[in-house]
Amino acid sequence: MKVQSNADSRARSGKGFDAVDFLARNSAPLFLLALIVVFALLEPRFMHPINLLNVMRQVSISGLIAIGMTFVILTAGIDLSVGSLVALTGLVGAYVAKGGLESRFAVNANVDAGNPVILAFLAAIAVGIAAGALQGWAVTRLRVPPFVVTLGGLTAFRGAALLFSEGGPISGFSAAYNWWGQGRIGDVPVPVIIFLAGAVIAHIVLRHTRYGLYVYAVGGNAKAAEENGLPVRLVTWSVYVIVGFTCGLASFLLSARLSSAEAVAGQGLELDVIAAVVIGGTSLFGGVGTIFGTVVGALLIGVLRNGLVLMNVSSFVQQIIIGLILVAAVALDQYAAARKRS
Amino acid sequence: MRRTIVAAFAASLALTAAPAFAQGEKIAFSVPSLGFPFFVHMQNQFNDEAAAQGVEVVNYDGQNQTTKQTADVEAAIISGVDGLIISPIDSVAMAPAVRQAVEAGVPVITIDRRVDGVDGLLGHVGADNVKGGEAQGNLIVEMFPDGATIVNLQGQPGSSPAIDRNQGVHNVLDGMSDKYPFVAEQTANFAREEGASVTEAILAGLDSPPDVIVAANDDMALGAMQVVQEQGLDIAIIGFDALPEALAAIRDGTLTATIEQMPGGQSRGALQAMIDHLRNGTQPDAVTLLTPIAITKDNIDQAERLGELN
Repeated sequence: MKVQSNADSRARSGKGFDAVDFLARNSAPLFLLALIVVFALLEPRFMHPINLLNVMRQVSISGLIAIGMTFVILTAGIDLSVGSLVALTGLVGAYVAKGGLESRFAVNANVDAGNPVILAFLAAIAVGIAAGALQGWAVTRLRVPPFVVTLGGLTAFRGAALLFSEGGPISGFSAAYNWWGQGRIGDVPVPVIIFLAGAVIAHIVLRHTRYGLYVYAVGGNAKAAEENGLPVRLVTWSVYVIVGFTCGLASFLLSARLSSAEAVAGQGLELDVIAAVVIGGTSLFGGVGTIFGTVVGALLIGVLRNGLVLMNVSSFVQQIIIGLILVAAVALDQYAAARKRS
Repeated sequence: MRRTIVAAFAASLALTAAPAFAQGEKIAFSVPSLGFPFFVHMQNQFNDEAAAQGVEVVNYDGQNQTTKQTADVEAAIISGVDGLIISPIDSVAMAPAVRQAVEAGVPVITIDRRVDGVDGLLGHVGADNVKGGEAQGNLIVEMFPDGATIVNLQGQPGSSPAIDRNQGVHNVLDGMSDKYPFVAEQTANFAREEGASVTEAILAGLDSPPDVIVAANDDMALGAMQVVQEQGLDIAIIGFDALPEALAAIRDGTLTATIEQMPGGQSRGALQAMIDHLRNGTQPDAVTLLTPIAITKDNIDQAERLGELN
């Protein structure tokens, strides 16, 4: 019996290629590829370049935050507050761009009345960083679990957004502001370029810097990292700052895309973001994961939504399918990990 | 035998893929959220009318996220629909997507809610939420000519129906605030359980019960009604949306009134205008507004969804 199984495994390794293992390890990219092929066959319009660019633009907002979230989850943390933080930072940016709440509903912005776009941009990002720093502080110094801290952030930031905007939207920006969400360089939408650039930078930071090494180490085994003299607290704190930064950046792009910042923006966004990271193969227990995986995960969700909508699948069924795929992706990952151990 | 089956299959494929008859226009219908029965009803009425007219409908559910509805509109444009009828989640945030549709040459009619700052729309069919709120206010004045104390249950903060309906009630009553004071104004997020819990808290904090509870939708009104009944109080309760459940409560005398916005009438009217445009080149009125009406026991037969009661 034993001999038999040994022979089996030898036979597999002898071929030099274990198909099952390969499938399980690369489940997300392969599934993305399969989805694209299936949609392309079933609905020819799916492959239309305009549609593909639409999908990319739709993905870029949640994708940017998912990049930040990858850092957090790599340290075995979580940030549930990102959707609410997007609403808050977007409103702050819009407020600065408009120079106040007086002309908040003016669709055709009086460009002279407000502040330069760069100030709005910086304000949104500054608030994102500050919120992240605050949450990171609560996690590292008050030793409240990240789930609880950011669950508090989820309601508190939403409340702050509503309070700040008096409940309503702030809308109507200058063309320079809208360009960040609606403009194109060549044919490529601006948010897509920023998303991809962000992914490349994050990949380099994680894979080719000492800091990136620390992030993996803290998530892999915080205690061992601490004993080896790594600045565990500082690293843990910093990942919440990073995700706050991506929230500020994404909210700026989102409000520019919609010409409007809303207190109700980003509701449920945290689920899309976390799903993208997890589908991309990052372990919720920390220490394992890649930016490439996260980008694939974000694209997978975007492609799935787009394809199902194009094929006119009932929106109720769509939500079931997306939920099942989330669980299936993680199950496959677990399967691959178990095989590796045995 | 086998050949006929294959032939029949091929024929049915051909039919679904590309209807051969002239009627088969493909119209996209996008609603803010099928989580709300209001829009489910609107969509059902739309699809009934479309079937009667021989039009193919592609239904989109915005899931209450402007990003989702924007993606839906982009998908509709790619799908090459002949027309788009949309009830935008937000009048400003949906403007860029609607503008994209117009620029792609798709005729667009907005329904129930508008978009701001988009040129070249085929038309708008709606029943203004502000007018509906005003109908609530007018009913209060009519029922209590000598004045009344009012509790106002507001909708989800930041959502445009919540803002507009609240605005309407205030438009009518703010000028007579000495006769019609708002003794409490709180949000109950359009939800029934919050309508009940918030009403409970408000009643506990007031020295004497109010004369009227006005709510920005029927769910909150029904929640408030539950509490008022439990406490054996006599308070007029006015809801909004004319949901079947609210109509039943009005018929049974436990709810005072609701506001009928005629979502079915809106969606049928918008579809008719779109079909006339596509088939005959008719240019519809830029704005068609149905006037919302207050439904009480006396005129309950004017409610669109009375037929769903049984």
